[in-house]
Amino acid sequence: MRKTELLVGAFLAVAMLAGAASAGDAIDTSKKLKVAMVPKLIGLSVFKANELGAIDAAKKLNIDFLYTGPVTASAQGQVDVFNSLIARKFDVITTTSNNPTQLAPALKRAMAQGIKVVSYDSDVSPDARDFFIQNTAYPAMGKALVESVAKYTGPEAEVALLSSTPDATIQNEWINALKTYMAATYPKMKIVTTQYGQSSPSQSLTAGLNILQAYPNVTGIIAPDGAAVVGAAEAVKKLGKTGKVFVTGTSDPDAIRQYVKEGIILESPLWDEVKEGELVMYVARLAANGALKDNDTFTAGDLGTFTVKDKVIIFSEPLVFNKDNIDQYKF
Amino acid sequence: MTRLEQSTTQASRFAVLSSLISGWELALVVALFAVLGGFAVGAPGFFDGIGGLLQITQYFLPFGLVAMGLSIVILTGGIDLSVGATASLSALVMAQLWAMFGLNIWLAAAVALVLGGLLGAINGLIVTRLRTEPLIATLATSFIYGSIATAVGGDNPPSGFPDSFNALGIGTVDPTGLIPWQLVLFAVVATATGLLMGRTSFGRKVVMIGYNSGTAYYSGIPVQRVLLSSYVLSGLTAALAGVVLAAYYSAARSSMGDPLLLSTLTMVVLGGVSIFGGEGTITGVILAVLVLGFLRQGLLIAGYSDMVTTMVTGVILLGSIAVKNTLSTRRNLLRARLRRWRTPAHSPQTNPTVK
Amino acid sequence: MSDTIHPIAAETAAVKSPSAARRRWPRELVLLIVIIAVTAGIGVADPGFVAKQNLQFMILNSVVLSLVALGQTLVIATRGIDLSVAPVMGLGAVVTGLWAQQFGFPLWGAVLASLAMGAVLGTLNGVLVANLNIPPIIVTLGTYSIYGGIVFIYSDGVQVYAVPPEYATFGNASILPFLPIPIPVVILAGVLGLSWYMLEHTVFGRALLAVGNNAAAAYSAGISCASTVVRTYAIAGTLACFAGLIFVSYTGSATVMTGTGDHIELQSIAVALIGGTAAAGGRGNLIGTVMGSLFLSVILTALVFMHVPPIWYSAGEGLMILIAVTVGMNQSRAGGERT
Repeated sequence: MRKTELLVGAFLAVAMLAGAASAGDAIDTSKKLKVAMVPKLIGLSVFKANELGAIDAAKKLNIDFLYTGPVTASAQGQVDVFNSLIARKFDVITTTSNNPTQLAPALKRAMAQGIKVVSYDSDVSPDARDFFIQNTAYPAMGKALVESVAKYTGPEAEVALLSSTPDATIQNEWINALKTYMAATYPKMKIVTTQYGQSSPSQSLTAGLNILQAYPNVTGIIAPDGAAVVGAAEAVKKLGKTGKVFVTGTSDPDAIRQYVKEGIILESPLWDEVKEGELVMYVARLAANGALKDNDTFTAGDLGTFTVKDKVIIFSEPLVFNKDNIDQYKF
Repeated sequence: MTRLEQSTTQASRFAVLSSLISGWELALVVALFAVLGGFAVGAPGFFDGIGGLLQITQYFLPFGLVAMGLSIVILTGGIDLSVGATASLSALVMAQLWAMFGLNIWLAAAVALVLGGLLGAINGLIVTRLRTEPLIATLATSFIYGSIATAVGGDNPPSGFPDSFNALGIGTVDPTGLIPWQLVLFAVVATATGLLMGRTSFGRKVVMIGYNSGTAYYSGIPVQRVLLSSYVLSGLTAALAGVVLAAYYSAARSSMGDPLLLSTLTMVVLGGVSIFGGEGTITGVILAVLVLGFLRQGLLIAGYSDMVTTMVTGVILLGSIAVKNTLSTRRNLLRARLRRWRTPAHSPQTNPTVK
Repeated sequence: MSDTIHPIAAETAAVKSPSAARRRWPRELVLLIVIIAVTAGIGVADPGFVAKQNLQFMILNSVVLSLVALGQTLVIATRGIDLSVAPVMGLGAVVTGLWAQQFGFPLWGAVLASLAMGAVLGTLNGVLVANLNIPPIIVTLGTYSIYGGIVFIYSDGVQVYAVPPEYATFGNASILPFLPIPIPVVILAGVLGLSWYMLEHTVFGRALLAVGNNAAAAYSAGISCASTVVRTYAIAGTLACFAGLIFVSYTGSATVMTGTGDHIELQSIAVALIGGTAAAGGRGNLIGTVMGSLFLSVILTALVFMHVPPIWYSAGEGLMILIAVTVGMNQSRAGGERT
């Protein structure tokens, strides 16, 4: 009696698996996975948006999901968290890094213990992760940032950059990309200064005010950092330069909604952070299943089909917010 | 052995023990075993053999190195807020000497240590010659050192040091992987600091200055020179921590030293060093480094978030010092009674020397 | 004896502190001269620096730090220190900001709430310092972590990015249409006036300085050290939390990093010491503190106008701090005790 039950059970399981496999790209979710998502720091809404998407996808993918990270944006804090996740035998660690180099040894230790590492948003050293989900291709982002102000300031404008810190990885990638694009497309456009807001709202605002007062000919500010774009926009508002100075940057739509509606930010490129969080979980699942090769294509549920090239997955084209579409996005 | 003899032996053993180790240190020892025992039972993954346990020390011993030098400065009644920036700058100079000029990494590390001593000397000179409050002097230099570190680091600071060097941060002495190099280094530095403060005239001078700089001056202690040396030592240990962190991360960044200050300060004061100077022991600080270090890693491994861990650390800091204060009042009463049958021991409250 | 704060150390402090005789000029005057000199110097090179709007924003940008630093000054004058002002300010900004953003909490309510919240948190610091006899730096290191954690728990990853118009008005608008002084500046002036009067002309102020100067003597003289200390920390907490409300009203945004991310605790200590308050206690220069804060704001803007590369800003700040605290001090060996 017992044996038959087992046999039937086994048969059913096999049939279900076969059914799943025959359904096409469906993903093997039979084994429960422990997956952690480690942002640069907890408590910021951009990373929270990733978490929202990840929670959603984790349910579908039989993933025991944990969102945890340091309370300061420090690599040291992230490494401490990684070490604890290794000791707790997680299956997959996903992370967006405070800096690429400092995290590498801890993540390599994790990989040596068979833990899969997936980086997203801000990458770590390539040898310290299995896959990297790039928000958007860097050249595409560089182009989108320049176009978002060039259309309104004209091709000969003086622009200022307001970034987070001088050694911020992803910001520097974007700045390099936008400089390349600017040199090729708008050779007469000039970057007069690059200032840093340390990702702090108050320092970004002060920097924005100082830029506008010390460089009165500036008509565009490109701020590839969430706090920086808000600081720059608020500075334009405070100095009454709305319509004279245009701001763009990378920020979640909630934070810039009012400035977009007031016409200070006319266009601002980003990507869908919530859906990116979902993709992170899909890649985590596939990586743990060993079902993803260094160069591959895969389907991630409703998100569509993605290409893996040298372990890098590009999530999407830049999503440009403007006053017509921004209310469709809440994060 | 009769009962009486037995109890006498125990009493004398107690006396010996208490002369070696103060009440607060004993409490820290108990706390250390409680932390280790508690997590070994309660947090799967914490106790992964002795080797595993020792591996965990790598995650926090750089803080311990900084704590050694910082303790000396605090014992003089000063403070060094520039330890984080000193660590970052020293590590970055080492990294750039290696990456840009192809200098041997160990030589570069030696240069970094010298630099750390120099940065400490600048602090010391500002404090002694310009007579600036240590708090404001080292805050100002931390801004300056931080700027220089950012400039030295550039937009893509070096990483990927040779494995032989990285072993300093993550390697073990023995091939079986039991004793980390970091632990050996910390043991050496801690012992040296302990001996310096406990067994040399320099140590006594430091404490005397912290206890009462005026009296120290009038007793002929070269106050300025001792103060200068204490800041040099603090810069040196900060630079050493920077080098070890660089080896641990196989990278150097300008923000690398930022987390050092507040955690290290917590370790020093939990170790029983008076923030006003003149009171405290290196043994206490060493124990506090271990207690706080294992506590943090243990809580994280037990599944608590960084946020909870940070809050719990705050509560423990407050609670333990409150208990210490309450007990020390009671203990004084108790001690008065005990003295009738025990040889009087120096109490750290009245004896201005470091044990 | 729970009232006394380490009598022996207090005695030492008297020896260690730079004696008043060594100072030639009042620090606030030195700072004012430096501020005017820098402003005039940069103004000649670039008239944009002395434009009305730029001057106004240099002042406005310093208000939040000034408010926090005034409380810090009082605490330092009692021979204490308050590191927890950073998370308390963050809490003030995040809590009132989120209430305003999520359910349009009225401004007057936010003012009361921030004052009350700050008073409670500050009182807790004070009780731990005075009644449990724990050194101030340890108390506020501990509550720094605890209050900081509360900010994270309360905000739960939600940021303040838009506050109702009345808040924006409160944080930016001029006091009267014909009087172009922003409301926060007026508030700062009021707080400065009140706290100056309190410190210089009330019994409480005298008690505060007496405790900072020599707690044992103050205790012997019949001053209730404990309640003086508790009240001082309560004031510091209240000002820090209220500064958080001003911050969120002025900038329109706040995150979990507000206060702690900018190291407002260290900045406020720096500003207080630049302003001439002695770390050893017993002396508090409130006007100097506000001048110190303005000084930092002017320096940071000046560095941008001088086209100094941004990575050198904090070095410039550090250097100017050193100059500010050493200039005007008599360098002769008259003090003697430290030679």
